[in-house]
Amino acid sequence: MQAARRRGGVFSRLRLLWLLVGPGILVMLGENDGPSMLSYAATGAKFGIGFFLPFIILTFVMAIVVQEMTVRLGAVTHRGHAELIFERFGPFWGWFSMIDLAIGNFLTLVTEFIAIRAGLGFFGVPPWVAVFSALGLLYAALMTHRYWTWERITLAIAAGNLVFIPVALLSHPDWHSVGYALASWQPLPGGLNRDLLLIVVADIGATVTPWMLFFQQSATADKGMTRHDVGFGHFDTVLGAALAAAAALATVIATAPLFIHHMNAENFQAAQFAQALQPHIGRLGASLFALGMVEAGMVACVTISLSSGYAFGEVARRPHSLNLPLREGKAFYTVLFVCAAAAAAFVLIPGLPLVYVVLVVNVIAVLAMPPALLFLLLLVNDREIMGSAVSPRWANLLATAVVVFLTGAGILFGVSVIAPNVFAALGGG
Amino acid sequence: MARNHNTGGLDSAEAYLVLSSLEQDQLAQARQQSLPRRPLKRVEVFLLSSLRLYLLFMLAVVVYQVWTGAH
Repeated sequence: MQAARRRGGVFSRLRLLWLLVGPGILVMLGENDGPSMLSYAATGAKFGIGFFLPFIILTFVMAIVVQEMTVRLGAVTHRGHAELIFERFGPFWGWFSMIDLAIGNFLTLVTEFIAIRAGLGFFGVPPWVAVFSALGLLYAALMTHRYWTWERITLAIAAGNLVFIPVALLSHPDWHSVGYALASWQPLPGGLNRDLLLIVVADIGATVTPWMLFFQQSATADKGMTRHDVGFGHFDTVLGAALAAAAALATVIATAPLFIHHMNAENFQAAQFAQALQPHIGRLGASLFALGMVEAGMVACVTISLSSGYAFGEVARRPHSLNLPLREGKAFYTVLFVCAAAAAAFVLIPGLPLVYVVLVVNVIAVLAMPPALLFLLLLVNDREIMGSAVSPRWANLLATAVVVFLTGAGILFGVSVIAPNVFAALGGG
Repeated sequence: MARNHNTGGLDSAEAYLVLSSLEQDQLAQARQQSLPRRPLKRVEVFLLSSLRLYLLFMLAVVVYQVWTGAH
């Protein structure tokens, strides 16, 4: 990496780009995780493509605005997010953000195993085999003891997220309707009601969540990026968002036939989505859909448990890097595996309402975002640690708009739960 | 090439090469130095506390929704 930095020329810059991309793509495709893909699937099945195609693009723009700041923070301070909050604001506020992260990560990990279990269920794999296989793969990916090797293996698996694009093509979408939806944000069937708001908030939670802040900043620091590499980090983030948005839109388009044929997808899991789609997209398409769910859950299992390990190491001041051998990073690796194993065990509880858990977890992720974003905004505007890399005014305006939007979405969701009649009075269902 | 006493008698190209090669060590060293505490302003404490209350309230709403859904 250092040699590529020293050389000039187009080839060297492309090589440097290849070496530096990773955290942004991983965080975005990692966030296209099991619950996210289930949310997108439920969106297409329940509301079709109308309002939601442009809305999902908007959520990815918000993700870029937020994640760009973590790149700058990681590259300039060489520290993870939890570490910075503790050092600059003290343990009182630090522990609040850590508790948010720990709870959010555990709940999200549960939903990843739900997606893996449900996806493999389509192929007749028993739940316990699915869950233990996922744990084994997680263990294998982390035992490389090299950040670089781990990152490239995970990137290769994450590329599987794009499998939803051929699935969408197999559903033979009406491209005229897709174009109309993107341009007009219409139609929005059913109007403004509680179900719509739950899906809106779940789709936001499918794109911007607190673990992403912790992961990308820590991964940027662990990778050894410096302030000279921030531009590459931005490219990495935008590329990741574009790939993830393509997969998300494809998932909504793929499940839209269920909406068109008025199928009730209320309590569908990944396997049922695949089964219900089979008459429309064939056995191959349904199998790809189920495999996509497994991949989405697997990549997120790896990245989310890693974000827990990073945050623990930063706060407990223990060695925390994927470059560490097991002996030197015992506490870091232990936290990683214990979190994943506990979440895996939770999923095996019989009778758990899996889809409901998935949607609720996404909603919680959105609710936890505004406090996390405020810390991020304070840090990225801290001239003492950022120097000339503090956020420009336009970036602050965009980030503040994201905080206001997320808080507003949360409040609207709260109103829809406490006083659903308000929306009925406004003309919704 | 001009030699500089500040860089141990190395010329600028040599100094850059040495500094770049040591980059990983410099990053590790930078991480070891702890940052000074930044006292929060009153308005920042107010905003953080408000958002904390918002989060707690909204989590109660989610619990209520799960409870009503279960019944």
